[in-house]
Amino acid sequence: MVLVLALGDLHIPHRAADLPPKFKSMLVPGKIQHIICTGNLCIKEVQDYLKTLCPDLHITRGEYDEDTRYPETKTLTIGQFKLGLCHGHQVIPWGDLDSLAMLQRQLDVDILVTGHTHQFTAYKHEAGVVINPGSATGAYSSITYDVNPSFVLMDIDGLRVVIYVYELIDGEVKVDKIDFKKTPATTHSAH
Amino acid sequence: MSKEIVKEEAPSSSSGVVPAESRPFGSLRGVQWRINLGILPPSSSIDDLRRVTADFRRRYAGLRRQLLVDPHVPKDGATNSLDLVMDNPLSQNPDSTWSQYFRNAELEKMVNQDLSRLYPEHESYFQTPGCQGMLRRILLLWCLRHPDCGYRQGMHELLAPLLYVLHVDVERLLEVRKLYEDLFIDKFDGFSFEENGVAYNFDFKKFADSVEDEIESQGNSKKVMSLYELDPELQAVVLLSDAYGAEGELGIVLSEKFMEHDAYCMFDALMIGAHGSVAMADFFASSPAAESQSGVPPVIEASAALYHLLSIVNSSLHSHLVELGVEPQYFALRWLRVLFGREFSLQDLLVVWDKIFSEDNSPLDEISDDGEHFSFKLLVSRRGTLIAAMAVSMILYLRSSLLATETATSCLQRLLNFPESINLKKLIAKAESLQTLALDSNISSLPSTFVGAYNCSKSPINAHNVSSDLVCPKTTLNLVPDSYWEEKWRVLHKAEEQRKNSSEKKTSSGKKKWSERVKFRLSRTESEPLPAIREKCKLEHTLSVRRSLLEDLSKQLGLEEDVETGACVEVSNSVDHHPAEVHRDGQNCANKGSICTVEDRCDDGSGAVVSEENSSIFSEPPSPPSSVINDHDHENDTEKSSVASNLSADDNYVHQRSIPEDLPQPVSLPPEDVYLNSPHENGSSGKMVSAMKEKRQLSGKFQWLHKFRGSIVSEETSDKRGGMSEAANSPNHDSKRNTVDSFTAGASSNSHPTNKGDAMDQNMMDTLKHLGQAMLDHIQVVESVFQQDQGQGGSLDNLSKNIGKGQVTAITALKELRKISNLLSEM
Repeated sequence: MVLVLALGDLHIPHRAADLPPKFKSMLVPGKIQHIICTGNLCIKEVQDYLKTLCPDLHITRGEYDEDTRYPETKTLTIGQFKLGLCHGHQVIPWGDLDSLAMLQRQLDVDILVTGHTHQFTAYKHEAGVVINPGSATGAYSSITYDVNPSFVLMDIDGLRVVIYVYELIDGEVKVDKIDFKKTPATTHSAH
Repeated sequence: MSKEIVKEEAPSSSSGVVPAESRPFGSLRGVQWRINLGILPPSSSIDDLRRVTADFRRRYAGLRRQLLVDPHVPKDGATNSLDLVMDNPLSQNPDSTWSQYFRNAELEKMVNQDLSRLYPEHESYFQTPGCQGMLRRILLLWCLRHPDCGYRQGMHELLAPLLYVLHVDVERLLEVRKLYEDLFIDKFDGFSFEENGVAYNFDFKKFADSVEDEIESQGNSKKVMSLYELDPELQAVVLLSDAYGAEGELGIVLSEKFMEHDAYCMFDALMIGAHGSVAMADFFASSPAAESQSGVPPVIEASAALYHLLSIVNSSLHSHLVELGVEPQYFALRWLRVLFGREFSLQDLLVVWDKIFSEDNSPLDEISDDGEHFSFKLLVSRRGTLIAAMAVSMILYLRSSLLATETATSCLQRLLNFPESINLKKLIAKAESLQTLALDSNISSLPSTFVGAYNCSKSPINAHNVSSDLVCPKTTLNLVPDSYWEEKWRVLHKAEEQRKNSSEKKTSSGKKKWSERVKFRLSRTESEPLPAIREKCKLEHTLSVRRSLLEDLSKQLGLEEDVETGACVEVSNSVDHHPAEVHRDGQNCANKGSICTVEDRCDDGSGAVVSEENSSIFSEPPSPPSSVINDHDHENDTEKSSVASNLSADDNYVHQRSIPEDLPQPVSLPPEDVYLNSPHENGSSGKMVSAMKEKRQLSGKFQWLHKFRGSIVSEETSDKRGGMSEAANSPNHDSKRNTVDSFTAGASSNSHPTNKGDAMDQNMMDTLKHLGQAMLDHIQVVESVFQQDQGQGGSLDNLSKNIGKGQVTAITALKELRKISNLLSEM
């Protein structure tokens, strides 16, 4: 029963002032065990805020991040799952599934989390899941101005992960759920 | 759950202890306790037991399924229509399964904290994950089921022994199974198949072979004993583990699989009390019960019940504890909440609980709503009284060491660290004897006094509120430096011993008790004695005359600072002036000492001089002496100053006249001297100066006391009033109270001799002095209590706070003093 929060592309303070209040009210400390952030926070204050939600914070470098010390990619293991994290501006074409799958194989992870497109997507394929939590603040991206604030909460429980997607559409929070079960043989298939 | 079963089976054991013969499961604690707690019916039919057990287990299983929330598992198949907006992990909605899940997780965390520290000395069983898991689940489910109680620390300690006894039972079963394996045959359809497996014991073989076989089979059959040849105890074990009886495996009474279920039932029954009067859950509640007479939480009330019982059984220990300020709930909270789980080792505890559970829990008498017959809730049932008796017997076990303690902390230390190696049988036997006593005494007891004390201590009372003062008298006293008081005490002690010969026996016992305390007080000398002490000393030692004198003194003090100072100084000075012995420093206790010394001097015959001196000074008695004593209260109302002093002078005068010259009223002397010297202002010892300083303090206090006295005056009897005025003089409300009585007694006793006039026996005087001394001692005891309580606090502001504490002490001291006064009045 591990709750992992995935979010990114907040672009505070350049493109957005803060998280939407409805999102902020939901994010209370104590419930979430890990936070993974795709990048583009952009300032340290945002990192501090995220740290208050959960001490275990993982961030990768986005192109507008002011802290240059974040890594380009990161992998971590939570429960039975291996998670990979990358901002996504390095992977071209931006948001292309095949390229992202390539990255996933490179990192050898079951769940790959990337951002940069500011659009929520979640692809499921036999090797794993590729998730894009979108922009938590709804900041405009290089591609489009029409962005809905969104983020992702993963509930990892043994060999099963339930992915909750929270989107702010027209001022209301909408929640969706995706189930993914990992087969034990999957990880060793390529070796 | 258990309640329903209890109703159905209608346990007949309302008469109390079940006789040993009808307790077939004596050695199987788990079963026995389940019967005692009302879960299992007391009937000995195995089938009944099995059915009831199975019922309970089913209920628990259902509860578990319902309450242990797993948000992953969809509720009742309605998976797709889940409203995700509400039911997501981050949802703030309290109704969502996730919220419940998180709440349960919080509760579990709390429970875990306690469980990890459970019985570390029996780690091998209690710290195993299986056991911990069971305990955790049981506690979690119980708390979820009873959200009003919640989880409180201590519940886990109540549950652990319950689980343990079940475990022990199962182990016993395994033992027996090993030994008598043959007996554990499955009587599925009424047939029993022997070990050799042959259904028809007919032998087809040839004779030669058959002989062999027969011998073998005979050998086999010999091993298989009949079940009924065993001890009833072993029989029980076997029967209770039959897998094919009613309800099948679910009904196996001694079952390892269902230990959790059974433990839950036992825990529930214990906590709820199953219609009985003792429900452990009450002890964990922090708010008063709905129907309680007293507005205090049940555990406080139960602690008060303990003290009540203790006061009946051994009032000296009780009063000692009360005096030290040891409230019963300080230690009783732990004792009651965990049913002595922390005081005894596990094995001892099981024996104690055997006893407690074997007592019936139903209320013995009707608790009527009008409260007339209301008694402590704890003492209403046999089980409750045994618990109370057990606690009292434990306190009594520590009696000698408790009586030796002087502070509340050391007292509590001893109570909370109950010795490991104890004679448990004796303890339990004593408890049982106390139990009968408790049952008898419960009917007319009122918890109000104790509750009053509790409430008193809880709520601040205005220091100037007369009624509250009366109830909870209070003063702030400073301690007197040791050396001075050592001397004083020695002097006093000598005087006391002289008097003791002539004193009545009744008073002497009380006196002795107090004299020890007096020693303590006297041993503290004060550089700047508080007026209270001073007053107390003065008051205590003087007889009625003195009382009036002091009264006047206080009046005077109330009137004029200077006069007061003078008077006070004089008082101390008089002490100084008088006899050579000890007291050099003009202090309250100096007064006391002076009184002693004065008295001594009187004995020596030197008092005559003084008396003459006094009489000469107070040469203008405005009012007839005889009326003086009786009119003290009236005089309170009269204008002070000269009249007062004159009155006091008159008192002295009267006493002097009534007393043969060689025995001047020692009591009167010092006050007289006070007034005497005030005009003279000749104090002239260094002490005078110091006394002056004290006077300042004293006068401040006196003024306050004066006011207080004025308010008190309007109350009660005239004697009381007089006494109270005296009491008013001492900042110590408590001592006031005591002084009131003491002086009432003193007044009445003294007035007799004085009123009688001239002929006053030396013996009478001695006795009176002795009694006066005793009263003074009592007051000092009380004072010391407050001193201990307050430390060095000397401001009037503290008075109100400490009023409550003093009340109980005051009451007890008061009673003592009343006894003395009665004795005196009989003389």
